Amino acid sequence: MNYLTRQEVAAWLDHLAQEQTLIAPLDIAGNILYRPVSDTKEVVWDFVRSFMSVKEVFFPPTERLMLMEKIGQQVMLTETLPEGNSIIFGVRPCDARGLLTLDALFIENEPVDPYYARRRENTTLIGLACQSVGASCFCTNVGGAPDDPTGMDIMLTASNGGYVAEIITEKGEKISKKFPVFDGLSEIRPHPTHARKRELKVPPKEVWPARFNDDFWAEMAERCLSCRICAYVCPSCRCFDIRDEALPGMDGRNQSERIRCWDSCNGIPYRRVAGGHNPRFMKNQRLRNRFFCKFYYFPLHYGPVSCTGCGRCIDACPVNVDITEVLGYVGRR
Amino acid sequence: MTDKQQTNPMLPYLGKLVEVKDIATEIKLFRVEMLNGGGEAFHDYKPGQFAFVSAFGVGEAPFGIANIPHFGEQNGNRNGDATLDFAINRLGSVTTDLHELGVGDMVGVRGPMGNGFPMDKFKGKNLIVIGGGIGGAPLRPVIQTVIANRADYGHFQILWAARNPSLLVFTDEYDNWRATPDTKLHLTVDQADDTWNYGVGLITQLLERVAPSPENAVTITCGPPIMIHFVNRVLVEKLGFMPEQNYVTLEARMHCGIGKCGRCNLGTKLICVDGPVFTMAEVGALLESFL
Repeated sequence: MNYLTRQEVAAWLDHLAQEQTLIAPLDIAGNILYRPVSDTKEVVWDFVRSFMSVKEVFFPPTERLMLMEKIGQQVMLTETLPEGNSIIFGVRPCDARGLLTLDALFIENEPVDPYYARRRENTTLIGLACQSVGASCFCTNVGGAPDDPTGMDIMLTASNGGYVAEIITEKGEKISKKFPVFDGLSEIRPHPTHARKRELKVPPKEVWPARFNDDFWAEMAERCLSCRICAYVCPSCRCFDIRDEALPGMDGRNQSERIRCWDSCNGIPYRRVAGGHNPRFMKNQRLRNRFFCKFYYFPLHYGPVSCTGCGRCIDACPVNVDITEVLGYVGRR
Repeated sequence: MTDKQQTNPMLPYLGKLVEVKDIATEIKLFRVEMLNGGGEAFHDYKPGQFAFVSAFGVGEAPFGIANIPHFGEQNGNRNGDATLDFAINRLGSVTTDLHELGVGDMVGVRGPMGNGFPMDKFKGKNLIVIGGGIGGAPLRPVIQTVIANRADYGHFQILWAARNPSLLVFTDEYDNWRATPDTKLHLTVDQADDTWNYGVGLITQLLERVAPSPENAVTITCGPPIMIHFVNRVLVEKLGFMPEQNYVTLEARMHCGIGKCGRCNLGTKLICVDGPVFTMAEVGALLESFL
């Protein structure tokens, strides 16, 4: 193990920021968000959970897929794959798990999505174990833990006023090299973070089909606004839309970009087909789909459960739709 | 596929429009000559498979491919690359922009995608093709396959319908269909006009009247979801077909076509990779209704 003081970690981040883009939790108008850092003094070290997950870095809310230019009847296409390496500091265990969930879809399920895959390849994750758990957190119920290093390249755990650093992958090894404090000689071990475990059993996927026609979904959906914030704050929701946007004219050139942006199955147009028919016209059908996707369809197709217990959807929902209430219901019967 | 396409499934091939013609009210048939390696990718796609067509600058949308692969000298295409037909109804922004395009303009094509109809499994069977409106588009390659390999299939019936006569597709091909041995074409419209000399009524009524025998037969239906539902009901409840005999092609407003974007889930199935062709037995066993 390695032991670093906060000053040493800060000096190390300064060093890393000179070579690559450093992304870290920053306080943006009162919200903790992962953003590129221009001055490491701005990095927020002590926080419970960021407002948005690190999903944004790998699967941005809006990203360009290609550029198109029309020249007479000809069309020029330019592939626009993401460039450059980056390091994310302060990744929470729930978000690292969210990335593993997205990996199952975008990388492990053929064909590979080159945009997501390239960002994953070119990004190193420095994890920061949670010292306390939030009121809505339930990571321990879905297989995670506040100090779980799964999916990280380096894991930092606060201990004795500094940080115990565990180097996990080759990528982690690479960014710790040349920095003398990573001597591997420390005797200090991280203490496990104390996490209260809720009385909540996540029902296995076999349980779900029998709950499909229950009245519960309509009751739950009565207050749902179909606002989609749950999907946007979720570290593992991945639905997207693709569309073209014209680019502001330059020298009369006819240029446009193809973009993909986040979408959610809670939106009315999501499942509408040609001619206007919509098999998920009702709110309860859409709300039900979101939970069935997370705990039944997604595991069936891609392996992992599509929930990391981060609790963001619980905090973000304007009408208190609570995923743990849903799990409680489905698991109870 | 070319190497580039293999690494980036979101990049379309380029295709040049070599023919654009009106085939019904607000419906045009686009013939696309594939460029930059796309001909290779579309060398042996199956009837019932689909592709995304891009109107560059506006967007892309999925369409059933409306023809069987045809190449080279057969249609005078100098590259020997495939040309693809798409029958497109002007409805939204992408289709409106496509309707503005003419011969020589470029479109993007991504595909082929989906499972397609098991035409080999249909060999030796009597086929009943049931098409409603623009739903006839993905059925045309089925009809073309039967015509091109007539001896492989049994008695062939085509039930073709639309809301009114001006919305019927491929009308200029009816004579060819009728002239095919052991083939019958039955037409109906919901609302007739002065020019109409055939039956009037819903396709379910036509189906009851034609009353095909379920023996050694399969049906292949495409149309609006409500039509698929009631056609299957007539087939099963009145004509004695098993749901396993009834093939349908479903639709969703998908965005990726490769099982990622999540848009086309129908319960546990993804229409883009598990479909779009299902039997009604499969559809009936799904957790979620397509209706």
